[in-house]
Amino acid sequence: MNLNTLRALYLLILWDLNKMLRRAVFVAMRVIWFVIQVTVFGLALTAMVRLRGSLPVDVNYYEFYLLGIYTSMLFSISVSRAYDIAEEFEEGIVEYHLSLPISRRVFAVGRTIGGGIASFLFTLPMFAVVLWLLEDVNVEAVIISLSSALLFAMSITGFVLSIVLSLKSGDATDIMFGVLDSLLIRLSTVFYPAVVLSRYAPYLYVALVNPISHIADFLRTLFLFEEYRAIAIASPIAMASYILGLAVGFSSLAMYIVEKKVEGGGWR
Amino acid sequence: MEVAVKIRKLVKRFGNTVAVDSLDLDINEGEIFGLLGPNGSGKTTTLLIISTVYKPTSGEVYVYGHDVIREGDVVRKYVGIAFQEPKALWVDKPYELLLWHARVVGYSTSEAREVVKNVMEVLGLWEHRNKYFYQLSGGTRKKVEIAKVLIQKPKIAIFDEPTAQVDVISKHALWDAIRELRTQGSTVIIATNDMFEAERMCERIAIIYKGKLKALGTVEELKDSIPEGDIVELMLDGDENTYLRAEDLLKQYGKTVRSNDSLKIFLNKGEERAIEILDLLKSRGFKIRKIMVKEPSLDDVFFYMTGAKLKEG
Ligand SMILES: Nc1ncnc2c1ncn2[C@@H]1O[C@H](COP(=O)(O)OP(=O)(O)OP(=O)(O)O)[C@@H](O)[C@H]1O
Ligand SMILES: [Mg+2]
Repeated sequence: MNLNTLRALYLLILWDLNKMLRRAVFVAMRVIWFVIQVTVFGLALTAMVRLRGSLPVDVNYYEFYLLGIYTSMLFSISVSRAYDIAEEFEEGIVEYHLSLPISRRVFAVGRTIGGGIASFLFTLPMFAVVLWLLEDVNVEAVIISLSSALLFAMSITGFVLSIVLSLKSGDATDIMFGVLDSLLIRLSTVFYPAVVLSRYAPYLYVALVNPISHIADFLRTLFLFEEYRAIAIASPIAMASYILGLAVGFSSLAMYIVEKKVEGGGWR
Repeated sequence: MEVAVKIRKLVKRFGNTVAVDSLDLDINEGEIFGLLGPNGSGKTTTLLIISTVYKPTSGEVYVYGHDVIREGDVVRKYVGIAFQEPKALWVDKPYELLLWHARVVGYSTSEAREVVKNVMEVLGLWEHRNKYFYQLSGGTRKKVEIAKVLIQKPKIAIFDEPTAQVDVISKHALWDAIRELRTQGSTVIIATNDMFEAERMCERIAIIYKGKLKALGTVEELKDSIPEGDIVELMLDGDENTYLRAEDLLKQYGKTVRSNDSLKIFLNKGEERAIEILDLLKSRGFKIRKIMVKEPSLDDVFFYMTGAKLKEG
């Protein structure tokens, strides 16, 4: 990797960050909505949900819920890159980007990292709220959780980039990611631990392979370690590897798609 | 003379539409080359293939010997394109957009600021630098698009209908800037359907129609390439009968078109023939009021080559 490559990567990341800055109002609204969710709804839900008895260990549902809802936000916001990329394609920006003196691989990686960072930064205020509500947390857990959240955002961006550029249709993008967003979050451990889901076998199997479950349970294991470890969907190492593998896999997919398949035109 | 862009048997299909149909073309280093053709003739498609944005369906395109498919990364280092439709989001601002562009094409941040300011001033864009794109007029948006290539100074500078939507004064500024770019070492390719622009700017022109190459050469060569390329127009003293007799006499020179008060002969090398015609008519006792030799305009060539009828006069 030479200096030019790094420069191009940096500029592509800058492109996505600029995009995000323009949405300051949108970001603020999402954060406010998040705060309402974790305070009003979260507390109400916690009052209703009785995990004790159904679980082998004693887990505070509210803390469980906090990390779940943060994960779902991280996922939704990363998925929403799809609409940005679709808009760029519709306005012909992708054609402009494809004409620039940047290699296709660097373009794919740059947009994946840039989109990932932008989505991740987007959720940082929410993450801060979560930390504040969790009260005493250790620094190590914070650092590892932030890195895994960033990696997760990048994998979702890589996936989204590959799919949007292959679909080449604004409508198809809207439908596909709208469905994916709501479905995948529900079919995960965002709201219920895997052991509770085990009563509904098909539901459980999806939740077990669902990346959202892995990142949600990984974050929980980091912050609620002792209590949670027993009911997480996999061991911490397995979940971390899954998240890392996903990031590598989906950025490679993005590279492959952009290098071999993507061309301008054919959108409208 | 080195060939900057070599196009061989290029075909591009979109579904059932054949946008480019077995096109062969060489564009030489350092020239200003024009792609002339009516709407939908495949100009933009060809340019986007050269810039690696579209992939050819079949055939080959080389930029300085580098294949646009296999060596796209290398090709993109040579080519810069100003798109027909300005590429920006509604909420983009010209200065930011151009600054980012300048840095991507290799300027350091401080160099970028300088070159962007210079180009924006030349094109009269500086006062619009911090407006949103949706606030800009069509012509101004177009200038921002052109500015990208002027900033980039690529070895091969492509302009897709650069002055469409641009006012007359700005047109001249743009043309000057594009010529200056060539002086500084760029090969320039311009797609246009503006005859005046083609004639003023382009040293060689390819006329394409329905994706096929119909004619290639300098403006002069193109005009001469039409059989019956020049027009000799005569006005005679006399009545209809006089014109009838004259037409009979002059048919041997080429296609004639007679109206009530003039006679036109479509022929080649009009200047030489006009003298012969003059002598012949005088020797037969015709009284000549006026004789003119007219070149067909590029318009005429265009109509001729693209299958439309040669206009009369
Ligand atoms: N992305 C695309 N998808 C489908 N068809 C396309 C696409 N781009 C171009 N075409 C078709 O290919 C043909 C050539 O189009 P092209 O844009 O290259 O013409 P052009 O010479 O640039 O025309 P104009 O003067 O209007 O700009 C047209 O029939 C057009 O409809
Ligand atoms: Mg065009």
